[in-house]
Amino acid sequence: MNIAVLSGKGGTGKTLLSVNLSYLADNSVYVDCDVEEPNGLLYYKIDDLKEEPVFTKIPVINHDLCDGCRICTDFCKFNALAYIKGKVKVYTDLCHSCGGCKLVCPQNAITEVDNSLGLVKSGIYEGTYVFSGELKVGEQTGVPIIDKLLDEASKLNKTVFIDAPPGNGCPVMESISDADYCILVAEPSIFGLHNLNMVYNLAKVFKKKIGLVINKFTGDPIIHNFAKENSIEIIGEIPMDFELGKLNSEGEIVSKYPKYKELFSNILKNIYKEVN
Amino acid sequence: MIIALPTKTSGEKSFISEHFARANFFYVYDTEKEVGKVYINKNKDGQGGVGIKSSEFMLNNDVSVLITPRVGEKALRVLKEGDVKIYQCNDKIVKENIASYLNGELKGLF
Repeated sequence: MNIAVLSGKGGTGKTLLSVNLSYLADNSVYVDCDVEEPNGLLYYKIDDLKEEPVFTKIPVINHDLCDGCRICTDFCKFNALAYIKGKVKVYTDLCHSCGGCKLVCPQNAITEVDNSLGLVKSGIYEGTYVFSGELKVGEQTGVPIIDKLLDEASKLNKTVFIDAPPGNGCPVMESISDADYCILVAEPSIFGLHNLNMVYNLAKVFKKKIGLVINKFTGDPIIHNFAKENSIEIIGEIPMDFELGKLNSEGEIVSKYPKYKELFSNILKNIYKEVN
Repeated sequence: MIIALPTKTSGEKSFISEHFARANFFYVYDTEKEVGKVYINKNKDGQGGVGIKSSEFMLNNDVSVLITPRVGEKALRVLKEGDVKIYQCNDKIVKENIASYLNGELKGLF
């Protein structure tokens, strides 16, 4: 079973929630899909992390074979190829590794080479399997890393908690595409509501089962009202709590503390009730 | 010498487009023949890498001078590779921009 945690903006509590839920759940996996700014490993402190590189394919042109027909440059929908001064040039940062240019080249002048995109790190923390992706600085898309992370995690046949990237772009879509349940995290403010609406619409497009967690809850009913209007189940409220915030910012898994354990285990119970 | 300008409407009386790669039209002027041609910009609505495509169009048409308000980072890479000189346009129409360039009144970009 895959449970994705997402939010419209960063800093809402995706990592707080997914780290604590996966820590409390039996037979679970935590996957940090925010490959641009992974932070799950700040909580899951693992000494013997395994690191595996992730590669994508990029085209290389053999200029001796190329006759300048420009079929490849016309074919590339991402505009990663351009015919400049009698030579096809590859703009690697725009390439989506679709391999189409190689297929359409009538001269067989295109081959592919591995381009290192980043890393997949993995380890085990007190029984919880942990995966974290890391995109190389300067690379444009982490989607292939997310793909690999989820692939590895699903092989384990456990309950997977997906810590999705913020927003509603391609990396988020990739992160939730195989999710059985989506937890939306929101803060009770006008800004929080706006961002919640963005991910809510995305989850609707993907026809996902949805539950809502309100973080930094102050008593403001703004998110409750939205949930009521759209018939979304609220599965948890994390109060605005200075101590919780402090522990979390120091990289502590707060559900290790008896004071907060129940809060997260109740959310977990609600999720299991909703999913089954 | 061939000069190109991104334009809002077609022809030498058009104003210059605010964007280079996503302009509606390109006006391409040959100073030796004293003839200008209008091209519809087919890359206008592309998803990404439009700067590369529109710059490729410049090189394929042997453009050596581009008059534009600005260019993006990707376009610049291709234009530099093709040794296209880039000048900043004024707020007048195409015809007057070309005249200003030929009089040495436009400022070079980059």
